Amino acid sequence: MNQRSDVLTLEAVGKSFGTTTVLRDISLSVASNEFLTILGPSGSGKTTILRLIAGFEAPTTGRIMLDGADISQMPINRRPFNTVFQDYALFPHLSVRRNVGYGLMVRGVPKAEIGPRVEAVLAIVGLQDYALRLPRELSGGQRQRVALARAIICEPRVILLDEPLAALDVALRAQMCKFLKDIQRRLDIAFVFITHDQQEAIAMSDRIVVMRDGRIEQIGGPEELYGFPASRFVAGFFGENNLIDGVVRAIDGARCEVETPIGPLWGVTCGPAAAVGAEVHLSIRPEALVPGATEGHRFLVRDAQFAGPTTLIEAQGVEAPEVTLRLRLPSGGTRALPSVGDVVAIGWSEADARVIAAEGSNG
Amino acid sequence: MDDRRDLWRMGWAAFCLGLPFLFVLAPIGTFILYSFWHNESGALVREFTLENYRAFFADPVFRSIYLQTVALCLGATIVNLVAGYGIALFASRRPPRLRFALILMFMLPLFTSYIIKVYAVRGILGHRGVLNELLIASGLISEPITAFIFSQSAIFLTFIVLYLPFAILPIYLSIERIPENLGTASADLGGSQMDEIRHIILPLSLPGVVVAALFNFVMTFGDFVTPTMVGGTEGFTFGRIVFSQFGVALNWPLGAALAVILLATSVLAVGVAGLAMRWSTAR
Repeated sequence: MNQRSDVLTLEAVGKSFGTTTVLRDISLSVASNEFLTILGPSGSGKTTILRLIAGFEAPTTGRIMLDGADISQMPINRRPFNTVFQDYALFPHLSVRRNVGYGLMVRGVPKAEIGPRVEAVLAIVGLQDYALRLPRELSGGQRQRVALARAIICEPRVILLDEPLAALDVALRAQMCKFLKDIQRRLDIAFVFITHDQQEAIAMSDRIVVMRDGRIEQIGGPEELYGFPASRFVAGFFGENNLIDGVVRAIDGARCEVETPIGPLWGVTCGPAAAVGAEVHLSIRPEALVPGATEGHRFLVRDAQFAGPTTLIEAQGVEAPEVTLRLRLPSGGTRALPSVGDVVAIGWSEADARVIAAEGSNG
Repeated sequence: MDDRRDLWRMGWAAFCLGLPFLFVLAPIGTFILYSFWHNESGALVREFTLENYRAFFADPVFRSIYLQTVALCLGATIVNLVAGYGIALFASRRPPRLRFALILMFMLPLFTSYIIKVYAVRGILGHRGVLNELLIASGLISEPITAFIFSQSAIFLTFIVLYLPFAILPIYLSIERIPENLGTASADLGGSQMDEIRHIILPLSLPGVVVAALFNFVMTFGDFVTPTMVGGTEGFTFGRIVFSQFGVALNWPLGAALAVILLATSVLAVGVAGLAMRWSTAR
């Protein structure tokens, strides 16, 4: 994304149903060829954002802009966006080719033109042999592809996907992830993908918007969110982070020193700057921890779980038993793995320690 | 234990199959049998004959009344389908509470007696009925119009009033069953409200339309009370002829043959309706 041109922009969008506010102050933009994922637990407002973009609901406050023009009040059928629904919403009485051709038919495209275009799109999603089937005669994954083809054929500026993988089994989901990303690259249009699954988000997205309680918690690339979570919530969402509670003692530029149960530690500040005396968490990735370091803190190995290529080790502080660390070590490494009952010194590079504001402080 | 269960199951099956046999198939079988016998100077002769059927097909009066009744009932059915569809569609697009109130309002006539409804229509259409009084009061006519009552059109109007709920209910129920997000998907793909109704709602609610059409046609075609009460001498229908053979002429075999023809017409209607269901899917 060297030359970023935004197709869609949400400006301070809010949505309330009666007295319940489901979205507050949502501002984000979608680049014209970007795979943007909106990630959050259920009830975080992510589906509402999609419904506002698609036009199924009108925003209570703020504006939705397309190429710089306000489309907040534009009717659904005029918006150049198409949706892949969570349950696909295929028309049960129409064959695959009629489902896919629907968008063209209602736009008055001549029949002679619809046929070849349907064929072409079915070829893209790999369903050319299923044109005459009814939706009930297809598997879940095939229905998913029909739903996608039905959206693609309309040549929308943005395709909106509402948890389309939720109904599929695990193996198929991974395959569809790759497929969706591939299609998005080939079509070179924007995808806005809604999910509660951080693995899907990491696998496909150019950027991820993390939602929480109707607000945006953080926006960034997958590496950025993984490496530099701005809050405990984001850190917790992306896998099994080690969080050590502490209080800021000193600040030195982007680094700060945190007083923790295992002594003073230095880390890199993420998110809003912390003040001296503020309560923070020190967050360290399990794979960044190194056992057997010459300079380190003493931990007792409590548990070791073999998980194929890596082994997950749980260790408890000897001097500070309230601190538990989880380490992810390569199973076939050159050094022998510590066993349960061993006392090892655990160290890490200072750059791998992130300082995150504790909940409730620093907003 | 298992034996007992099997016994129960067999008893239940015998009940489920036996009851319709006793109360539906047995009477039908009896009158089909009657239709092949004949009357001789008031006495029943139990000999096989096709005389009764010949009487129907040879008599131009029977034939013309038959065709007239088919046309009348088809007409009433079509009017009720169109009106019923409109009302059902309108109701299904209202907020839930209003929807329920609307449907309840249209179903209310089903809670009142058939006879009361027919008399109510007579009160409206009659010589000194509400309709005539209104037209006179508005100055459009000076003399009451007698054609409102005791005519084919009076039967037609009464059929519409009486059987409209039987059109609305099945259509409404089938529209109600269509998932809401199909309409959303239609709009999302660029379809207008008309596109949604034409391409999504209409084909998916076709089963309800077929049931409504069957209810209306079969019930109006067999109805002899309404034509008797509002039809007068002008409004002669096939149902009345069947009734008159049993009740007035006391020619049961001929009446039975005519009833078989009535039944065959209804069965044919069911067959045609079944074929119509094929239009609901498109490949």
